[in-house]
Amino acid sequence: MTYLHLSFLSAFTLSSLGLAFHRTHLISALLCLESMMLSMYIALAMWPIQTQTTSPTLLPVLMLTFSACEAGTGLALLVASTRTHGSDHLHNFNLLQC
Amino acid sequence: MDLSLVLNTLMLLTITTLLTPIILPMLSDKLKSSPLTITNTVKTSFLISLIPMTIHIHSGMESLITIWEWKFIMNFKIPISLKLDFYSLTFFPIALFVSWSILQFAMWYMASDPHITKFFIYLLFFLITMLILIVANNLFVLFIGWEGVGIMSFLLISWWHGRAEANTAALQAVLYNRVGDVGLILCMAWLASTMNTWEIHQMTSPHQTPTLPLLGLILAATGKSAQFGLHPWLPAAMEGPTPVSALLHSSTMVVAGIFLLIRTHPLFDNNPTALTLCLCLGALSTLFAATCALTQNDIKKIIAFSTSSQLGLMMVTIGLNQPQLAFFHISTHAFFKAMLFLCSGSIIHSLNGEQDIRKMGGLQKMLPTTTSCLTIGNLALMGTPFLAGFYSKDQIIESLSTSYLNAWALLLTLLATSFTAIYTVRMTVLVQSGFVRTPPLTPMNENDPNVTSPLTRLALGSITAGFLITSFITPTKIPPMTMPTSIKLTAIAVTALGIILALEISKMTQTLILKKQSPMSNFSTSLGYFNPLVHRLHSTNLLTGGQKFASQLIDLSWYKLLGPEGLANLQTTASKTATSLHSGLIKAYLGSFALSILIILMSSY
Repeated sequence: MTYLHLSFLSAFTLSSLGLAFHRTHLISALLCLESMMLSMYIALAMWPIQTQTTSPTLLPVLMLTFSACEAGTGLALLVASTRTHGSDHLHNFNLLQC
Repeated sequence: MDLSLVLNTLMLLTITTLLTPIILPMLSDKLKSSPLTITNTVKTSFLISLIPMTIHIHSGMESLITIWEWKFIMNFKIPISLKLDFYSLTFFPIALFVSWSILQFAMWYMASDPHITKFFIYLLFFLITMLILIVANNLFVLFIGWEGVGIMSFLLISWWHGRAEANTAALQAVLYNRVGDVGLILCMAWLASTMNTWEIHQMTSPHQTPTLPLLGLILAATGKSAQFGLHPWLPAAMEGPTPVSALLHSSTMVVAGIFLLIRTHPLFDNNPTALTLCLCLGALSTLFAATCALTQNDIKKIIAFSTSSQLGLMMVTIGLNQPQLAFFHISTHAFFKAMLFLCSGSIIHSLNGEQDIRKMGGLQKMLPTTTSCLTIGNLALMGTPFLAGFYSKDQIIESLSTSYLNAWALLLTLLATSFTAIYTVRMTVLVQSGFVRTPPLTPMNENDPNVTSPLTRLALGSITAGFLITSFITPTKIPPMTMPTSIKLTAIAVTALGIILALEISKMTQTLILKKQSPMSNFSTSLGYFNPLVHRLHSTNLLTGGQKFASQLIDLSWYKLLGPEGLANLQTTASKTATSLHSGLIKAYLGSFALSILIILMSSY
């Protein structure tokens, strides 16, 4: 495995761990989600360069589109939870707790 | 003329004559039956039945009448056939003679009963079913007669059905008889499946019969003839009127079980297990009944236990492989036992319903005919030489003593013989002799010819029947001819011993104070503790067993634990354990997400 792959993987893993183990604010989770998206973008962009094929060159742009939607959804959830609960603290999502 | 035609016709005429008081009132309104007409019918029937018996004694002619065949299944024939052999031809006149005397007596005894005609119809119906049983060649016809006598016994015992004890006694009779019926049905089923016939003359087999059908027959005889184990109904049956006790429970119905064993005797011939069982059961019954009779105070109960004891003796004779001797004892026993019951009936009515012998005494001067007949009957019962009972009873004891069978059975029978003498003498002494212990004003009257003529007729029968039967009938099995003098005199010796002992003890009881209770006398008085033990224990066990099955096994275990509810419990436990994971905490969900991602990433390398 080259150093490049290591950097993608470690960036992705660290961001996903950050998504899982965030403490208080939802926005920090969303930021981790963005960094996951970033590492995936760079990985997807490096792949046609390394294998010298031109067809997958389209993929990063597609991924960007979907991640924009996803970021927008995440922000909408943040705004909705702020509107109902007054803040974006994570313990607001424990609604299903019995 | 053709004697066989005469035989067959007159036997059928006998039975038809008995049916007329039942059928004729149905045909016309003017022909009502009355007790007198029924008595005369039975008398006519008796006189007619003498002719076939004479023909048989003269020429040894036997006959088989087949009336109809019930084609029920193709392979299995059930012909409705009547067997006119020695047993049925001889028993018919005896049964009819005894019934005639009892019916004539019942005209006086039940004179104050408003339903006397119904009583006589019941007795007549019983007589007809008994005769069907006797004359049956087929176990099916015999079963019809068997059930018929059982039902009539039930109806007649509970004649005074306002009395609770009478109803209980009738129920006891039916239940114990039913237990015996199971044995008869078992035997019939075995015969139908193995020998494909229910005919009595087809019942021989060259090799040893298996014990199972014989056990069924012995069970049937135990139920019907009140052997030990199914015996309590016979003393309880004394709740019925005295003519009922005289006809059913002394002469005719209770010998039906023994008669069944006599009829099916070829099956028993080569099975020593069944014969030994009969022997020991009979010996036990005779001793037990004689022991219970020693301390009874009701005159009818003493005679009932004496009947039970004699039935045990008949069972012993069957066990000795001597059916003809057992039949002989049945015939002679009918005479004196019926007479004893009629005498007791006369005494009871004369003392206005008093049945306790402790309240009778000195009746010899007040009721001379009755007490003379009582004495004759008791002497015949004890086996006094050359009266009726002697010929059969002495021969039985001789056969028992000279056989190589069970010595224990012999001992018990001899003991029972001496007990017979003891309780008989006790009854005679307390009833007839001594001081008068009855209340002073009693309606004492035996001048009615309806009382005296039956008693004297039966007394004549008790004296001469044994002699007549042995003179005219040749035995089929050779009786023991030679034996040591002491063996020959055994029966008389134990009887004499019993008489002396009884006289001694009754003299003692009139001069000394009453002795305290002892375990022996308690055993005798409470009829061997059999009734309370068996009646409670048996039904308690049955009911608790039933509750265990129905309630605890089926309802609680299978329906609750293992069945639907158990399944439901299992599911709820599983789902309770599963839903504990659904906490609703988002951190837990995200933590498990991270864990799974990590594991996947690790495992892909």
